[in-house]
Formats: sequence, structure tokens, C-alpha cells
Amino acid sequence: MPNLFTLVLQITVILAVCRVTGGLFRRFHQPRVVGEMFAGILLGPSLLGWVAPHFSAYLFPAGSLGFLNALSQVGVVVFMFLVGLGINPKELKHQSHAAVLVSHVSITAPFVLASVLALYLYPRLSDESVSFTNFALFMGAAMSVTAFPVLARILVERGMMKSKLGSVAIACAAVDDVTGWCILAYIVVLIRAAHHATSIWVTLAGILLFAAIMIYGVRFLLRGYERAFRKHGEISENGMAILILLAMASALCTERLGIHLLFGSFLMGAIMPKEPKFVRYIVDRFETVTVTLLLPLFFAFTGLRTNIGLVKGPAMWFYCALIIAVAAAGKLGGSMAAARLSGMPWREAAGLGTLMNTRGLMGLVILDIGLDIRIISPALFSMMVVMALVTTFMAVPLLDLICPDQALRTVPKRVSVPDVPLQEIA
Amino acid sequence: MSSSNRNFIFAYAFLVILPLAALAGVLKSGRKLAAPPAIDGLWNFQFESSHGATSTCTDALVTLFEKTVSISQSGTTFVLSMPDDARITGVGTLSGTKLQAAFASSEPAAVGCAGHQQVLTADLDRKVGRGTLAGILSAPNCPSCAPLAFRAERASISAPGTPNKGDH
Repeated sequence: MPNLFTLVLQITVILAVCRVTGGLFRRFHQPRVVGEMFAGILLGPSLLGWVAPHFSAYLFPAGSLGFLNALSQVGVVVFMFLVGLGINPKELKHQSHAAVLVSHVSITAPFVLASVLALYLYPRLSDESVSFTNFALFMGAAMSVTAFPVLARILVERGMMKSKLGSVAIACAAVDDVTGWCILAYIVVLIRAAHHATSIWVTLAGILLFAAIMIYGVRFLLRGYERAFRKHGEISENGMAILILLAMASALCTERLGIHLLFGSFLMGAIMPKEPKFVRYIVDRFETVTVTLLLPLFFAFTGLRTNIGLVKGPAMWFYCALIIAVAAAGKLGGSMAAARLSGMPWREAAGLGTLMNTRGLMGLVILDIGLDIRIISPALFSMMVVMALVTTFMAVPLLDLICPDQALRTVPKRVSVPDVPLQEIA
Repeated sequence: MSSSNRNFIFAYAFLVILPLAALAGVLKSGRKLAAPPAIDGLWNFQFESSHGATSTCTDALVTLFEKTVSISQSGTTFVLSMPDDARITGVGTLSGTKLQAAFASSEPAAVGCAGHQQVLTADLDRKVGRGTLAGILSAPNCPSCAPLAFRAERASISAPGTPNKGDH
């Protein structure tokens, strides 16, 4: 049984710290999510546990973290459903050659650079229980992901959503996330299959069958929701309950199949109807609780697992700096080079690279899975979290430098962009 | 084929297909790399008799390690901790199969040796069971502390793929 007093106290402190830190970051024109990610680090062993170990042990006793984690994972399941909901495969089909090239290069460039870096880091930060292939593929997946919601938020705030740069960035981020998650699913299956009795072929067949049922069966049934929304302008409570049940059932299926809960909820979101008003309606129903209550718990839990103290000594800080440099070179440099080769002017190409370099919450979710399945060590996890924070944090100041054009920087107080939800999440 | 299509195909081959081929090469060459042995997990310590040379310090050391000790590994470095006593943690390095760690405590009294640093040195034997450690636990700067020989057996392995919920 959870100690309810401890759990509620934890939630209260986490929410308070996240709101304050998020608000502070907003003052510096950073997306709130960056501040909340930072708040998680502040509450963990990197700061609170270091400055006030007794209070930290009282507030976050080891035995209580399982409950906090369970709550935070529910939040991430809902969040991944919303991320999937925000991705519209039809929009991706109509993208230009430039978008196709940039999106693919923004995956391959960081992926290849990360695997080259893995050659150096594997003997230093991993151990023999993890194979090099899995280690390198994970590093690649973690470095090639883009924070789709954070990117959308930055574009909205700068009034760039409808610009060519904005539409290419959104399309590329969507492709990156789908690809990144597919690669991660593959790695998780490989690793789990090696330690479970079920053959990998049975697992793969199960996953393919599940995906086929979802895409060719459930997707058509879900159109009824869109029709009901068009007719009544809302979805009934029962309808919403069934939708939640479907998302949870899909998550459970993928967990049972040996991948992860999050893939199921992401897929469920991805196959939902994409009529903009309908998407906005669904997002509005889930957003408040997810953003203000559950995601801060995830940030705090991630922060509790991040121990900057493990990054000790010049060698460890060198590895950390190398990870940040390689991540930025691969994602920012790769996207920028591809955009420039596609004919985009230098400034726009650099802006696109900067936007693609934000990893934000998506990066943390992937890293969390990596630590859970023990493919990355605690020290490497901490370094990768620092990398995700730094690359996300640098996006806004870099954009200010690269795209100082007032027309692109207009910040309307309230912008309605119905075709890209998740603005508040970021 | 239009020139823009041709350019796209060349750019795609150069920026996407070529790097993917390079990736295959990197993955192949990486298979030859050797990572440090895995010591992550819970370890049960057993001390050899100190033949009457006990003191408050050595008694405290034995008491400390009598329970399960957790090792959290990050490549060639690791953190030792007592699951029942968060005040005591040790930081160490792994060189081949040799381990060396130094203990610090947020409360000097907790290690029973008036703040003297405890040092653990051990050899890892991977052939026996899940792995064993044989070594010495000592407090080099404490005059009343006799070094203690120990053996430790790995009680649980944190294998990849094993959920790690609740850790931190």
C-alpha cells in the first residue's frame, strides 16, 4: 500500500516546483516544458539530494518511488497518445523533396554519428551485459528524436507555424518521431527477446498482426468518432471513456507483445481521425490533467533518476560534452546541410536545423525506457538527460540569433493553430 | 527525369544511403569491442574471521557489509550503496577484473570509524556462479582498524530488458 501522505506530499511539492520553474523559464522566452524538465533535475539527487540529503530522503523515500513512477507512466501513456494524435500521415505525403530529404537526413546523420560515438563510449560507459549493436542503435535512436510538441510550441510562439520553414520542420519532426519510435521498438524487442522464452519471430509476428488490426480495422471504426463529432459538436462521456479504454488496451497489447506500453498509445493516437477541430477537441479533453498534473510527475521521476554527481571528473565531463557536441552536430548540422542542399537559404536552413535539434520531452521518454531496460548505465543516462536539456534550451536563443526577422518573431498572445495540437504540452 | 529529381536522387544517395552503409560498417566493427565486466546488482558479503583482532571500527565495518550491498555500474565506474542505509555510499573504479572503491558517509559516525575513509579492493571472478568478489576492506588512516578479508557473491543480476522501475 502506498503511504498516501508521502505520495500527496510528493505530488504537491513537484507541482509547486514545476510551476515556479516553468514560469521562470517562460520569462526568458523558453517553453514551459524546459523549466519543468529542469525542475525535475532540481528535485533529484543532483541538487536536493546533494544539498539536503535528509529532506530528500524524507520526501522521496526509495520505497515510495514505485507509486510515483506508476502515476508518471500513466501520464506519459496519455501524452504519447496525444503525440500520435498530432501526427497526420496525409500531410506528410504531400511534402516536397526538400522535406523528405531533410527529414531522412535528420535521422541518419545523428544516428550514424551517435553510433560512431558509441565506438568510443561503449568500452567506457557500458558493460558486457549490453551488446554493442543494441547500445549503438539506442544511442542513435535517442539522438535522432525531435521534440515534436516543443517544436510546435516554439513555432506557434514565433508566428512561424504557417511559414515554409514551420511546415517543413513539423513534417520532419513527425517523420523523425515515428522513425525513432520504430527503431526503439525494434531494439526493445531484440533485448527483451534475448531474455525471454518467446521467440523473436513470434514477437515480431504478433507486433505486425497487432499493427495490421489497428491500421486496417480499428482505424475505420474510429471514424465513427469523427462522424459523431461532426453531427453533435461533441463526444459523449461514454464515447470518451471508450476512447480511453481503447488507448489503454492498445498500450497493454504492445506491453504484452514485448515492446512497451508507450508504443501502443502512440499508435492509437496516430490512427485516430485527423480532422483538425476533432483533434483539437480530443486534445482539450486530455491536455489539462496531462500537462499540469501527470507530466510534472514524469519530469520529477526522471530527475530523481538523474544524478549529475555521477558525471564526476574531467573524463566524465568530456564524455558529456562530446555527447552534446555529437548530438548537435548530427541533428542541427545534418538537417541544416540537407536543407541547404535542397535549395533553402542559409538562414532558413540553420533555423530548421536549430528547430530539429530540440529533443525535449520525447528525448527524456526514450532515455527513461533505455534506463528501464538497462541498455544505458546511470551515468550515461545522466549525460544524455543533460544533452536533451541543453539541446532543447539552446533552440530559442539560437533562433533569436539566426532568425531575428520581426515578421517571424511576432508573438501573438493567443494563437489558435487547430491542425497542430499539443501547444500547451510544450 | 527532371534535373531537380536527379539532384534529389543524388543528394538522397549521398546523404542518406551512404551514411546507412557506413552505419552497417560501424556496427560490424563495434562487435569486436570489449566492454568492462558486468558487476551491477546486489551482492552478499561474508567476512573471514579476524582472529580476535576486532575493534569498534572493524565491528562497524562488518555490520555495515553484513547486509546486501548494491552496486550500480556505469562502465568502468560504479557506486556501492547499502539499500538499508542511504547515508553510506562508495564510489569506485573497475580496471579489468580489479575493483577499488572508497566510502564516504554523509554522517561520519555511520561508518563507525570517526570519519576515516574506508577502502575496498577486490578481484572479480566471473567463472563462479553469477560472479564472486574476493578482497579486503580496510581503513588505511585508522590505527585501530585491521584490514578485513571478504568474499562476496552476486545475489541478483540486473540484466538488460529487466524492468528497473523505482530505481534511482
